[in-house]
Amino acid sequence: MAKTKEISRRIKSVSSTKKITKAMEMVAAAKMRKAVDAVLKTRTYANLSWETVLHLAKIADNHNEVGHPLLIKKTEVKKVALILIASNRGLCGGFNAAIINKAKESLKKHNLETDIILVGKKGAVLAQQKYNIAAEFPKSDLVLSAVETNPIARMVIADYLLGKYDKIMLAYTDFVSGAVQVPRVKQLLPVDIVANDQYLGVVGKSETVGTSRSFIEDKEKQHLQSGEFTYEYAFEPSPKEVLDRIVPRLIEVQLYQALLESNASEHSARMAAMHQATESASDMVSELTLFYNKARQSSITAEIAEISAGANALA
Amino acid sequence: MATDKKTIKFELVTPERVVLKEEVLQATIPTQSGEITILPDHIPLVSILIPGVIELKKMTGESEVISVSGGFVEVLKNKLVILADTAELAIELDEQRIEEAKKKAEEMKKWKDIDAVQFAEISGLVEKQLARSKAVKRWRNLNNIK
Repeated sequence: MAKTKEISRRIKSVSSTKKITKAMEMVAAAKMRKAVDAVLKTRTYANLSWETVLHLAKIADNHNEVGHPLLIKKTEVKKVALILIASNRGLCGGFNAAIINKAKESLKKHNLETDIILVGKKGAVLAQQKYNIAAEFPKSDLVLSAVETNPIARMVIADYLLGKYDKIMLAYTDFVSGAVQVPRVKQLLPVDIVANDQYLGVVGKSETVGTSRSFIEDKEKQHLQSGEFTYEYAFEPSPKEVLDRIVPRLIEVQLYQALLESNASEHSARMAAMHQATESASDMVSELTLFYNKARQSSITAEIAEISAGANALA
Repeated sequence: MATDKKTIKFELVTPERVVLKEEVLQATIPTQSGEITILPDHIPLVSILIPGVIELKKMTGESEVISVSGGFVEVLKNKLVILADTAELAIELDEQRIEEAKKKAEEMKKWKDIDAVQFAEISGLVEKQLARSKAVKRWRNLNNIK
């Protein structure tokens, strides 16, 4: 009897856990829907704007007169800042582990002095691993406007211009689909079209807009050349004024988009993880029920055997 | 209309949506250094968009009026990309509601005890409403509706 009691207690606890994971799955699904909506809405804008910035960077590479401090590569890279977008809470499968590992991998590869700027609480584990944390920004579960990322953008742009950092990287999770999320590290500053392809991730994927190097070159061929002759950009009112406004703004957009992508990925990952948890809890309950029945049956059999043995002995 | 006319690939996007993407014959755009009209084979240009009205001439000969509130313009040889903060087609706008919103925004501007951020926000709002009402009026003129 003791055994059946124990099993029934376990069944109870597993099924109440199942209720919790089920509820969390539902919540994550609702949040995911909103986050995915938000990310899809801004993708075209973000990609088109990044395309423009890359294009400007390419031109700045060839012509110093349209140079802007944010577009020009520094000759020597001493210190790097890495913005890491993680989640606030756990229970979202391998979401945080994936992005943190990706970031570490990139740090190892560069092997440069790096400050990490955290967005979201879960990135804090890096602090215990001898990584240098420069700042930690709070992250809300559902991002409603670019106001949330603007302070981060302003900070890194200012630090970059002051020369505190020579390169700004951004680690985020790209939302490909509900089932697939890809951690990425991309170079935010200086805006550089020839940066290593791996670091030239696209924020989001859009069928119509590409931001790869070949796409930009294609665009140039199509829209800027006629025969041998290449057009050059005119800036109104002046290159400096236009770039001063356009580049920081588009960096902000990029950061905002990265945050949206990460959010959509986080909620999708959490939903998937909770779905799995619910399913394995169901499996466990049915397995335990089987054990419970077996144990109950064998105890009854044993009892009957005892009774009949007793009756036999008396007869 | 003749189909052999040169056209521009026009694309207007905001952070919320792709407002318009089609081939146009010409586009008039409000920029910081004045209103400019882009025709096919315009030289590449990058400029700052200010709140105002964009007017397009479509291939069918019709005009399209769009109100925008700030952003950037990128002109390529035969492509025109506008990254606007907000944008609405004049057809979608309702004049009465705009007038109300305009009044409200202007009243807000008179409030005391507002900080610089709030003031900038409200000023932006006023400019946006002004652009919207301009867009509606322009569209009505073009279509001879009184």
